[in-house]
Amino acid sequence: MTKLLWEPPFIQPHRLGEINKFGRMKARDNYVEHVFGVPVALLKEEFGSPCFVTSEIHFRNNLRNLKKAFERRYGDVIHGWSYKTNYISAMCNIAHQEGCYAEVVSAFEYEKARKLGVPGKKIIFNGPNKGKDILERAINDGAHIHLDHLDELNLVSKIASRLNKIVEVSLRLNFDTGFTEPWSRFGFNIESGQARQATRLLAASKNLKLSGLHSHIGTFILEPKAYIQQVRIMCKFMREIEASHDIEIDTIDIGGGLPSKNALQSIYLPPEQVIPPLSEYADAICNTLIEETNYRNQLKRKKPTLIFESGRAAVDDTQALIVSVVGNKRLPDGKRAAILDAGTNLLFTAYWYNHQVQMTRPADGPLADTALYGPLCMNIDVVRSSIQLPPLEYGDTLVINPVGAYNNTQWMQFIEYRPNVVLVHEDNTYSVIREREDLEVMCQQDRLPEHLKIAFSTTEAKK
Amino acid sequence: MKDWRNWTIAITGVNARAENPGPGCAVARCIREHKDFKGKIIALGYDALDAGLYSHQLCDQSYLLPYPSSGEEALLERIKDIQAIQGAEPIDAIIPCLDSEMQSFSRLKKSLSKNNISLFIPSRDQFNLRAKNNLFTLCKEIGVKVPETKTVSDPTFFDRCADEGFDYPLIVKGIYYDAIIVYSAFDAQMAFAKLIGTWGYPCIVQKLVKGDELNLAAIGDGNGNMLSPVMMRKRAVTDKGKAWAGVSVVDKSLERLASKLVRKLAWQGPLEVEVIKAPDGKIYLIEINPRFPSWIYLSQAVGRNLPVTLLKTMSGDKDLDLQPPTSGTFFIRHAQELIVQLSEFESMMVLGGTRSTPLFESNTPDAESA
Amino acid sequence: MTKKSKLKLGNGNRCERLHALAISETGFIFDPQTGQSFTVNQTGLFVLNGFKKGKDSETVSHDLADACSVPIELAQSSVEAFILQLERYL
Repeated sequence: MTKLLWEPPFIQPHRLGEINKFGRMKARDNYVEHVFGVPVALLKEEFGSPCFVTSEIHFRNNLRNLKKAFERRYGDVIHGWSYKTNYISAMCNIAHQEGCYAEVVSAFEYEKARKLGVPGKKIIFNGPNKGKDILERAINDGAHIHLDHLDELNLVSKIASRLNKIVEVSLRLNFDTGFTEPWSRFGFNIESGQARQATRLLAASKNLKLSGLHSHIGTFILEPKAYIQQVRIMCKFMREIEASHDIEIDTIDIGGGLPSKNALQSIYLPPEQVIPPLSEYADAICNTLIEETNYRNQLKRKKPTLIFESGRAAVDDTQALIVSVVGNKRLPDGKRAAILDAGTNLLFTAYWYNHQVQMTRPADGPLADTALYGPLCMNIDVVRSSIQLPPLEYGDTLVINPVGAYNNTQWMQFIEYRPNVVLVHEDNTYSVIREREDLEVMCQQDRLPEHLKIAFSTTEAKK
Repeated sequence: MKDWRNWTIAITGVNARAENPGPGCAVARCIREHKDFKGKIIALGYDALDAGLYSHQLCDQSYLLPYPSSGEEALLERIKDIQAIQGAEPIDAIIPCLDSEMQSFSRLKKSLSKNNISLFIPSRDQFNLRAKNNLFTLCKEIGVKVPETKTVSDPTFFDRCADEGFDYPLIVKGIYYDAIIVYSAFDAQMAFAKLIGTWGYPCIVQKLVKGDELNLAAIGDGNGNMLSPVMMRKRAVTDKGKAWAGVSVVDKSLERLASKLVRKLAWQGPLEVEVIKAPDGKIYLIEINPRFPSWIYLSQAVGRNLPVTLLKTMSGDKDLDLQPPTSGTFFIRHAQELIVQLSEFESMMVLGGTRSTPLFESNTPDAESA
Repeated sequence: MTKKSKLKLGNGNRCERLHALAISETGFIFDPQTGQSFTVNQTGLFVLNGFKKGKDSETVSHDLADACSVPIELAQSSVEAFILQLERYL
């Protein structure tokens, strides 16, 4: 008699109307033994589980493709590497080596870019909270400051006047494209006249010079036409203010928002079917910008430089997360569940993506609807609420991808150490680019007042 | 030589819930009832309760497919599996009948063709051009009227839409599916929230045009020609707005409009054009569906069997044998119960398809003994 | 319907309800009394077939432990949990 594969016996009623596709489909040999060319088992043994693995060559290729797509169509283009998407130092330096500026949104990000050796004039400084000190530094460094609100405008003006400098600034705009949820909390609104008001103030200012326009229409934009609208509205605004004030705009920054090949939970069809190719976005943006700035040729004036700030599209698919199964469960309704050693603490993006999860060995047993949970003691720590997987065993290794965007920055330090991040170099060697945390790291910033130095007195401890 | 008469034809969309049936069963029926057809029909479903899977009159075999959301790779794998099970009777052609699977099939065209499976469907570009949010631009280019439409991503629009000429009632549509008629800003904002929640940004708002609902089904030959148009006027609808009764009509202006669209898009494959004819005689395009409609059996009844015309076109058979368009043939949709043996149901649940040897004898243990 | 009294499988009582079940080797189960259908996994099928043959839960647990090469305590506790599931549905 052939051996029966162990699994606790269970019975599950069929609920009519929600009957699943195949019944029980035979298991597939859908597994991966390598990530970015390196054996998963090797990585797990050397760097532990969980562990992020990143591909240098992949990242470089993505950055080059993005740049090429815009450059070929428009010419004068700057890619601002969006630090917040992934600001591990090695990743930032790859981007800078590929010619990217630093696009930063806080004092920390600004300081980090400077620390990495990025000159001020290659930093684009966005964000709603730029403090006085960091603004002063940025002004002295000659960074590109994008104004977010009137108080900031006044602050920059004051600092510039004190330093006796003329500071070139950009205005962040917001408006309704009709395609995306308006991000009206950032920048100056066009429809309500705020943007015109700011322009007037800038035109009148002795210390500030408006030289750029910026806007960011949202995130994971699936409709290239949204960018057409964006560029049109920005260019229309540009022509209006150039006509009515002594202003010349040198840069148009269209922000980011390009999608990656990840599966949004809110979208029914798989990503390869809903995500238009990069060329469609580049066409939409560049063709519109060329059209809308043609008038400058007649005026013998330079076309503005196009700035884009893609993060997700450049880095998402360059990183995978290796995880391990630490427990199996059968939920009361009969559904399979497994607990992993990484959850939303490391995969913040699991809140909105259905990340692909792959086995690292041939499947042994039928596929079934499975929930994957993380290690946190929180009910919302769900990596996948429903995925077809074969029976998992304790210690099984799984590979989750793409995870390169926003996880190494939005991960949270809650009850677990953050793990190693490994980079696979272009020559297929690899190294750690961010060490896993340990107790020392976790306690480093703690300070104990004298009277709290001891948890238990020696006598109490003995009881 | 093997031609459409003895092909094995796989048909999807065999779901048949009474209030909103898929077109698959009607397509199968058109083919099955054609006097020259001697081939086999395979029903491809997504749910073990898709009625067409169990209809012995309509199909010879049936199988479940992975949901469209699992992507084209899973679909291709499954079709290859089915080919293996089919053995000596492999699938020669697939007629996809659901919107949500059309992209998968159009991307799989080459791979399926390598497996000797033909498809006659629109390309991804054609599919996208007729999508709701692109329809307006398309129609403008070729001078076809559409009810005035606007994409909306800011719900405060509904408080001030009258300023832009959008008076209630209006239709609010999801970017992919669903349409809700709204009578006030409050209604509209509720509908907006619901549609955004389900289908994402943006919503489409359309002015409501009053008039008769006319539909046209036809085939685009891929070179700009429209084959065998059949037109129908809805006479009664279900609460989902689907035809419950209708009558064949001949409306030259609708035909002209549809052939303009087919020419402009160089449409390949079946299509359904939905319009509203206003009392003043003006025609407004509402939607283009990239497949046969579920009322397609009417085409057989008026002597213009569209599914068979499709097969002939795929097979290079020039003798389409079409009757001149006629009006006055009615249809009334009705529901009836299909009897399903436990063994068939088990087979669908466990194996995802029918097969030759049932695991159960159909006489199940007697309930009385319990 | 007095569910629990009928399903005292642990005592080795023959259970009429269980006998009436149509059990397919594929793991498809049909309860002719209620019209409900179920799926059981392979170990569940093994246990059900054991019960149908009149074995008590102790014997079935031992058979299961042997068949899967798992400790008897694991098999026993799992069979016990399985009986609780059956009581819930039958």
